[in-house]
Amino acid sequence: MEWTGVVLLVLVGAGIAGTGLPAAVVLITAATLGALLGVASGTIPPAVLSALPGRLINLFENDLLQALPLYVTMGLLLDRLPVADALYRACNSLLPRSSGAPLASGMVLGALLGPMNGSVGASVLGLSRVMSPRLSADGVPAATRDAAVAVASTLGVLVPPSLVLILLSDAMLSAHTVAVTQTGRSDRVINTQDIFHAALVPAGICFVVCVVIAWIVGSRIKRSHSAASVNWQQGLLAGFSLAALLLLLGGVAAGYFYAVEAAAMGATALLLAGFVSRRLTFPVLRSLLHDVMAITGALFFLLVAATTFTLVLRLLGIDHLVDNLVGGIPGGDAGAVAVVLAVVGMCAFVLDAFEIIFVIVPILIPPLLVRVADARWVSVLLLLTLQSSFLLPPFGYALMMVRGAAKDPSPFRPFVRALMPFLAAQWLLLAAVLAIPALVHVGERASDLTRTPEKALTPEEIDRQLRDMVPLPELEPPR
Amino acid sequence: MIARLDRMLGATMGAMQWLALPLVLLLFLQWPLRDLVRCCSREANDLGQIFFALFVAASITAATRAGTHLAADALAQHYSPRIRHMLRKAGALFGLVPWAAFVLVASKPTVLSSVAAFEAFPDTANPGYFLIKLAVWVMALMVLAQTLVLVAQPMPQDDV
Repeated sequence: MEWTGVVLLVLVGAGIAGTGLPAAVVLITAATLGALLGVASGTIPPAVLSALPGRLINLFENDLLQALPLYVTMGLLLDRLPVADALYRACNSLLPRSSGAPLASGMVLGALLGPMNGSVGASVLGLSRVMSPRLSADGVPAATRDAAVAVASTLGVLVPPSLVLILLSDAMLSAHTVAVTQTGRSDRVINTQDIFHAALVPAGICFVVCVVIAWIVGSRIKRSHSAASVNWQQGLLAGFSLAALLLLLGGVAAGYFYAVEAAAMGATALLLAGFVSRRLTFPVLRSLLHDVMAITGALFFLLVAATTFTLVLRLLGIDHLVDNLVGGIPGGDAGAVAVVLAVVGMCAFVLDAFEIIFVIVPILIPPLLVRVADARWVSVLLLLTLQSSFLLPPFGYALMMVRGAAKDPSPFRPFVRALMPFLAAQWLLLAAVLAIPALVHVGERASDLTRTPEKALTPEEIDRQLRDMVPLPELEPPR
Repeated sequence: MIARLDRMLGATMGAMQWLALPLVLLLFLQWPLRDLVRCCSREANDLGQIFFALFVAASITAATRAGTHLAADALAQHYSPRIRHMLRKAGALFGLVPWAAFVLVASKPTVLSSVAAFEAFPDTANPGYFLIKLAVWVMALMVLAQTLVLVAQPMPQDDV
């Protein structure tokens, strides 16, 4: 029955792409079918299925998942308050006067708002609304404009503490726990903070490269209008918002507060700003909360459906099959990681990031981590693959969203040509991280290590690591 | 009957969406309560968990009613309204109904024993943990009710 699980996975892909039904409904229908087949064939004892309610209760009491409505609230508030527009105008006026400034400002906006927006889809909608009219007024061709919006929308995938990153961290924590238990290694199981830190350098490189490419591409465009000006109120709002965003992102990255608390602080600050500025009237607030509930429900139902589906797949024995398949990939650690990433990349043609995190990661990643001990490296490679696959023509999720959101979408070929420099840069970065795992370990202290050292430590090394982990109090000077 | 159920679900969603505000506030308060006041942050967290569970339990049906569930529409947008309606009904009858019914039945012992004992949070002994388990029933019952509304909808005419 192991291959039944694989057939169900293929059915899910085909069902999502072919029926237009919500992915969660397809997953639940496939899980129901799989459970019936499993029980009928005697593979799944009916009593084992009663584990499902317990798993669902775990979702309801999961601290990290509380971030879902908070991020959604922040994203919708950013969309309704003039913050994004003020940030874009301020950034545009701060950059040197050049045709490259509007596109580069769009990238900066994507990196700032992406982590707050919740999903790539939400980022596309928000950035399309703010960036596209301004770029159009600046004479940027439609293809370049759409490509810039698509790329900027995916920057949030990698920049901590994005919702994608938080949910992937949770999935990686579970996958790593399985791998460590299975192998008997004494590694420390990775947590959200580990993955935030690991993603910082690749995210920084990705951001800088995208801004530079946007600047170069933009500089070649003959501008037809002057840049959008910024008044003092917008400047003040942009400055305050930027400071608040950096404070939150920095606070989480530095470990001063948890991601959920940072999201709650951001949402509270934006709500207060809305009330004080009187933009958040009662009807607007009611409509905002309606949307918060509807979008949160979409994400949570996906998680509920994926939990049901992966339980059935496990009971059908897909774990053993994937274990054997991943274990048999030739080419060492890098070969195994490359093959698994290619599979994830192919899944991204039909699945959103959340669907991949909830359905594919729990199946594919534990056996990979059994083989490859560096969970931080695997996590960042997964993030880079997800980001890149959203932009992969012709069905990349961000591409389809951008073309769906645009009033007059650009012809496809020029659009793909405009995307290519960004895609090539992302692939180079992916290859660089694959070849140089040290890129995800920059600034790592001994206390941050999750992997067990391969050679025995000397007493001096143990002593130094202990001092790193528990700093000794300063000795008082002798009187 | 179905129209009344539809209105009742709409009113319930309209009321429960306001849980988002205390949820944001309570989760925000955790940090100052823990690091500045040094008191009651666990209570804020527990209460936030209850609001979160009830909010997300209802949010699934809210997403169905608002049509925000993640779906790939590239092929299906070319289908006729009748085909799309039939697909939605098939998904509801062969996927959602058996699933929601199973969740209700399988969670019955856990939920009933928790509610009967007014189960408290295991780590803090604060009251109200049973509401989190009850949220599973809220979710399943609302999914079932919304599915009934969908199945009862008349077949649309094809635009030919």
